[in-house]
Amino acid sequence: MTQENISGAAPSLARLVQELNRLPGIGPKSAQRLAYYIIRLPDDEAYALADAVTSVKQNIVFCEECQNLTDASPCQICSDPRRDQTIICVVEDPLDVLAMERTRSFRGLYHVLHGVISPINGIGPDQLRLKELFSRLDRPEVTEMVVATNPTLEGEATAMYIRRHQGRTDLRITHLARGLPVGGSLEYTDETTLTKAFQGRQEI
Amino acid sequence: MAPPRTYRCESIILSYTPLDEADLLVTMYTRDRGKVRAIGKGARRATSKLMGHLEPLTVVQMSMANGRSMDIISQAEVLQSFSELKGDLDGISKGLYLAELVDGFGAEDSPNPNLYQLMIDTLTVLQADTESDMPLRFFEFHLLQVSGLMPELYHCVECRIELEPDAHRFSPNVGGTLCLECNPEDAHLRPLSLRALKVLRLLDRSGIAAASKLTMDDSLASELKSLLSTTVSYWLGKEIRSNSFLERLHKDSLPEVYK
Repeated sequence: MTQENISGAAPSLARLVQELNRLPGIGPKSAQRLAYYIIRLPDDEAYALADAVTSVKQNIVFCEECQNLTDASPCQICSDPRRDQTIICVVEDPLDVLAMERTRSFRGLYHVLHGVISPINGIGPDQLRLKELFSRLDRPEVTEMVVATNPTLEGEATAMYIRRHQGRTDLRITHLARGLPVGGSLEYTDETTLTKAFQGRQEI
Repeated sequence: MAPPRTYRCESIILSYTPLDEADLLVTMYTRDRGKVRAIGKGARRATSKLMGHLEPLTVVQMSMANGRSMDIISQAEVLQSFSELKGDLDGISKGLYLAELVDGFGAEDSPNPNLYQLMIDTLTVLQADTESDMPLRFFEFHLLQVSGLMPELYHCVECRIELEPDAHRFSPNVGGTLCLECNPEDAHLRPLSLRALKVLRLLDRSGIAAASKLTMDDSLASELKSLLSTTVSYWLGKEIRSNSFLERLHKDSLPEVYK
């Protein structure tokens, strides 16, 4: 959407609509609605939103250890001495760290790849934070790597690439269990997931 | 009478991209309708009935509903998952290379059952042997054939003289092989060894099972790979992106001295 498309709108409003329209999942109509919502906000709330955007762009850096987004490097998780330093969980995106932390069942460290190998989209190993991962895996205190990429074709390809290219022979490499989601239905489950669910069956 | 609002089609999933909160925009190649792009509503939710059925390189029986701008996937049932192929990094990378080519050569509303079958056959052979590159060469050659771009291998494309068993030249720009007497100005012109010409003719005459058993030395394999992927890329009009990952894996597999 160009500013010329928003006929009759003030230039500053047209600019806001245009910028909001760049956000993922925000179409032209949604951008207009959000822009008018922001205009109607009380001044302090609108400035707080603008300040939050400015602040996040100025302060967020990559953690030198896990490559997650953080205000200070190393991040809170990496600098927490209570975390298990021997196990690293490899995830695709920072949002995956949040999802894992919500479970409170993992007390080790993370490594964020910031994507997956996607040959069709021209994303190869060099575009991911793999060099940093392999360097961390060289530390003798690390005894296990949990590859928690998504169970998609590209996630699996990335997991296989990591397993093939990491240099340790004594490292335990695991991935998250595959199977049925809570609330799912056997009838609609694909054969690959069902096969893996059978392979990973447990005593009750 | 109004056309039916739903239809069923057998298709192979080529790729998908996330759409909105939990949807997927799926690109597939169907046996009866050519390339189709459709939306899988809520397909990214863990409890979605579409979950796991829309992974690339999966053959799926689809039930679709006509949408205003794009069709909607209402049901999907996996017919063939190629799970062994997907359990191997080389298999995945080769499969995705095929998917990118079918996406590039396939057209919407333009069915090409031969192209569909070629992809299924190639994936089936690749699944049995993910290390061999010959299924890819067979696929590239026959992709040109089923797309109406088959290169001339038996006569010079300029003077039409029957080609002698000798080294010649090749250019996708002029449509195939040239004798040594003809010298058109062509930036795409490249030498073609007699051995490579023989393999191309063999690919023309053989089925995929026989062609895939062919073994050749590194120099001939490299010449064929370069010639066919350059030709395919020429007709596609762009670089084949998944090729660079294939090259990377190939380079990684070489002994250190060859890198």
